[in-house]
Amino acid sequence: MSQKSKPIIIAFCCNWCSYAAADLAGISRLQYPGSIRIIRVMCSGMVHPELVLQTLNKGADGVLVVGCHLGECHYLKGSEMALARAEIISDTLEDLGIAVERFQLVWVSSSEPERLVAAFRAMSERLGIGRAADNGVTEAGQ
Amino acid sequence: MSGAARPRLCCEWLHACSGCEMALLNSGELFLGLLEQVDIVHFPLLMDHKYQCPGGSETKREKFELPRAEIGLVSGGVASKDQVEVLRTMRERCQILVACGTCAGHGGIPALRNQWTAKQTWRTVFPEDERPCSGEFEPKDWLDRVCGLDELVAVDVFLPGCPPRPETIVEVVAALAAGQQPQLAEKSVCEHCPTVRTGTGLTSVRRFLGNADFDPQEPDAPMRCLLEQGFLCMGPVTAGGCGGREMPLCIDARVPCHGCYGPVRRQGNPLLDLLNILVSRGIDHRAIVDKCSLLKFSGAHGQLRPNG
Repeated sequence: MSQKSKPIIIAFCCNWCSYAAADLAGISRLQYPGSIRIIRVMCSGMVHPELVLQTLNKGADGVLVVGCHLGECHYLKGSEMALARAEIISDTLEDLGIAVERFQLVWVSSSEPERLVAAFRAMSERLGIGRAADNGVTEAGQ
Repeated sequence: MSGAARPRLCCEWLHACSGCEMALLNSGELFLGLLEQVDIVHFPLLMDHKYQCPGGSETKREKFELPRAEIGLVSGGVASKDQVEVLRTMRERCQILVACGTCAGHGGIPALRNQWTAKQTWRTVFPEDERPCSGEFEPKDWLDRVCGLDELVAVDVFLPGCPPRPETIVEVVAALAAGQQPQLAEKSVCEHCPTVRTGTGLTSVRRFLGNADFDPQEPDAPMRCLLEQGFLCMGPVTAGGCGGREMPLCIDARVPCHGCYGPVRRQGNPLLDLLNILVSRGIDHRAIVDKCSLLKFSGAHGQLRPNG
């Protein structure tokens, strides 16, 4: 197997909505690409832009920040913070020589596992690694 | 000139402007004291020490030599193959290697060219319709980008600044000569800044085209934080120490910090960090003109890359 055979997408999921949605996706046995690696954070607003940049620089093919819908944040203002940060990340990545489509912010509530899986798939396909990842499809939650 | 026991100091410059060396000379009497603590064995700005340029044929390359030393001071980033050779030789010959200045540590101003490929830079400086100015200096000798020293060799001490504070350079060399670990400021410019912060009033940032608001009649009266006055000040993300224990130099001149000491956190990205600070205070980051200029002192380590 070549070294670069396994693409990796890091998904920072907030504890209260998106991680619960990922959990539910597992229970519902929804399929999503095996390239996704979920990292649970307490709030999407705590994901520092520098962390996203570092993740991309260290070899991740894509980064997703997944948080609660605006106004539904467990910490009240976290999603707005995530949105503000996502804007500067998107605006800055190009200046830093990184393709913008490698980063995305998604809102997913805890009852929307389909939306989460769709975002995972969309990201994977957008990066052109959908096909490669198909071989490594894992069942959510396993 | 006896002092075989005195530690030897070897200085070398790479992709730099000689400002760091000037700063060392600018330390005045302290420099005379330093001369009694170390033996300078190689210093291109001061001494007419003949040595072979590393470039050219293989046989020439073998002749390239630098004297052995306990302390090596290198200023400037690395932008050409010759400079890589000089740097590797310095690392080999010196026990302790000090990256002197922001260029050595973070690429500095020359690393602004990392926004373009080497070929683009070459074509901009020497347009195609003009004759090349010299047959000896070709872009093939260039590296594809300007690197910080630690991207190529191990560096023991980072001494930031553009240029570093003269007293600090002397202190660092003296401490190393005495076998001690030099003490450098680790906090940001804001930590050293005496301006008054109220935590309110930050609504937008603009370029520094007008004067800051302060009372010229009372130079000692505290001034309002420049960021809160609406000027883009890089103090929060920049390493401090430019004014020693006094106030930061630019703030002392009532001018916002330009970030010449590089990021406060090594490998930090001042651009993202500063924008993050602004958005968390509700500032529209699009108000900033030419965002990449926030990386003007730290473009090495892949922070600035050719676009597309």
